[in-house]
Amino acid sequence: MEPLGLVPDFRHFVILSAILFAIGLYGLLTRRNAIGILMGVELMLNAAALQFVAFAHFTTTKPVEAAIMALFVIAIAAAETVIAMAIFVALFRARKSIDVTRIDEMRY
Amino acid sequence: MKVETAVYSILFYGFAAASILMALLTVVSRRLLRAAVWLMFVLLFTAGFYVMLGVPFLAGVQVLVYIGGIVILIAFAIMLTSSNELLEDRPTLKRKLLGALGALIFLGITIPVILASELPNSNQSGVSAEEIGKSLLNYGATGFVLPFEVVSLLLLAAVIGGIVVARKK
Repeated sequence: MEPLGLVPDFRHFVILSAILFAIGLYGLLTRRNAIGILMGVELMLNAAALQFVAFAHFTTTKPVEAAIMALFVIAIAAAETVIAMAIFVALFRARKSIDVTRIDEMRY
Repeated sequence: MKVETAVYSILFYGFAAASILMALLTVVSRRLLRAAVWLMFVLLFTAGFYVMLGVPFLAGVQVLVYIGGIVILIAFAIMLTSSNELLEDRPTLKRKLLGALGALIFLGITIPVILASELPNSNQSGVSAEEIGKSLLNYGATGFVLPFEVVSLLLLAAVIGGIVVARKK
């Protein structure tokens, strides 16, 4: 296990994306507003896509596959955000609040 | 960009510190619209990382789709649900501690594994937009045309689903 050098290696990038993922995880677990939770999810997805590209750039010989993976992550994150926002808007119309600690019953 | 130059290291550490700071501001800020702006900055710094990793096409897509689409959508939803008027209530201390514990356990598991790994070095070539395009439309064994079509269907379903869920009765 060689020590972490000063010149950025793939380990620097992976540690950075792990830290961003952990911060997104904290936001996901802590936020009361549903849109705040979604912002934590976006942080995590972004960190994962960055990690794909960083790994491929430093260790493989065909980084095009990781670039395509990151492209798909971005597209799927966009689709998921559309649906989540539609649900939150409809939920706000019905319950007048999107505080997740107050929406705890499933009756109509 | 060559990795051995000092500019690369300075840019990497600067962008890394700035994006970690912006991410912390995103998850802690009580005004949701400001949290969306800090999220936009994190995504912008990630686009800078994509340029440093030799994929400028992905940096452009990140800015166009992630910032120009998703963050704008988040801002719309914040204003449509009136979440920008009041300050969000603080989470309870127990919730904060449990959240921090979860994040720290994740870091404690992954960072030692990362530090102990040794992977072969590559020639660090970049990816051009032409390569990405050809690979996405490649019908061969290493092509990605099937996921490409499936993602197109997914986006169509998301658009239709969004309209149906959010319309007024």
